[in-house]
Amino acid sequence: MSVPFGPEEIRILLVAAGLFVLGAIGFVTRRNLILLVLSAELMLHGVSLSLVTFGKIHQNSEGQAFTIFVLTVAACEAGLALSLVLSLYRKSHSLDIRLWSELRESDVNPPDQGESLPAAVSTSAYDGIPKLTPAGVAPVGTAGHP
Amino acid sequence: MNSWMQQHPATVLGLVLWAIGLLWLMPGRKSGASRTPRTGVLIAVAGLLSFFAGCGKSNSDLASEVMFWVFATGALGGGVLMISSRNPVYGALWFAIATLCTCGLFMLQSAPFLAAATIIVYAGAVIVTFLFVIMLAQQSGAAGYDQRSQQVWPASLGAFVFLGSMAMVLQSDPPRYERVEIVAAETPAEQPGTMVALDPTKPVIAPQPPAIPNFLSRADSKAPVGSMKGLGRSLFGDYLFAVELAGTLLLVASIGAIAIAPRREEGAL
Repeated sequence: MSVPFGPEEIRILLVAAGLFVLGAIGFVTRRNLILLVLSAELMLHGVSLSLVTFGKIHQNSEGQAFTIFVLTVAACEAGLALSLVLSLYRKSHSLDIRLWSELRESDVNPPDQGESLPAAVSTSAYDGIPKLTPAGVAPVGTAGHP
Repeated sequence: MNSWMQQHPATVLGLVLWAIGLLWLMPGRKSGASRTPRTGVLIAVAGLLSFFAGCGKSNSDLASEVMFWVFATGALGGGVLMISSRNPVYGALWFAIATLCTCGLFMLQSAPFLAAATIIVYAGAVIVTFLFVIMLAQQSGAAGYDQRSQQVWPASLGAFVFLGSMAMVLQSDPPRYERVEIVAAETPAEQPGTMVALDPTKPVIAPQPPAIPNFLSRADSKAPVGSMKGLGRSLFGDYLFAVELAGTLLLVASIGAIAIAPRREEGAL
């Protein structure tokens, strides 16, 4: 049984790759929290389209079954992301992700130093939010080494 | 790589034009009011069409050809306009367009159930709730941070190089993927009429089922690819435990969302 894998499937796979890439660009470049989540959903669309096409190439239903699980996880992710965004918005009254740049690890430079950063949220907003523990071990002889 | 670029000039040209159109449309470091969006849209759409034209001639009939061009252009164009929109409400609506066109591509790939499910989940639930949040949070229109974007050049460069490498692999000549021959694994049939003497010293081993992984997911004439019957057999046959796990995941996620969301006594938005 030969498998149909021709230009039709190749171009659908390329469209899927394009959707994924566009979502990745949006996720990195935009500053609105809602648009970040929507960009992640766009990436999931690309992955779903690839899975469906692979399932058609192999003539079985596994690709579509996986896509249903992707849909499930996307729905969970959307709900969790929405509640997280709401919780962040209640503290900063803005959807700007730059306000939360203090959440990065302490030894990482602030993003895009050429531009003046907006005033970060007050430190009391971080109460109750788990902080990242510093990862790794400081080299011997540095100040951080015990 | 050189031979690929020579054999598929339309793809390379399309990628370059698409990237230029996207960079044109992205909200800039300054206000970006000097750039008219129409030019960027034209460049990006021209790049998209050239990109698809570089994918080779297909043998499908006219109707599915037209549907592919419409849906693919709509999906990718909607994606471009979504990530470059200065107003997040328009961004969410462009995302709806991209979702609808992706569902059209699902239909072309013989997945009607998935198309319907995706439309219901995304258009009915995700986009509506996100639009609610945007309108609740930004009642005065687009904010200043929506007029800016960060790290546009490195992100676009890396992403389009990634896309170009995928196109190169998919369009490579000779193809680097292998055609998968689906062969039904057959159990060695017992010769009828032969008697096998049982050795009382050895344990009796039950006959093993045929070694076909996920045998319920395979398409046949009764349950072709994409039919509800075939998909249901696959989901509730081969992936029954995964379906149960997915239900548990939904429950845990809803509990977590309720736990994270702000309480009423903590103050409304």
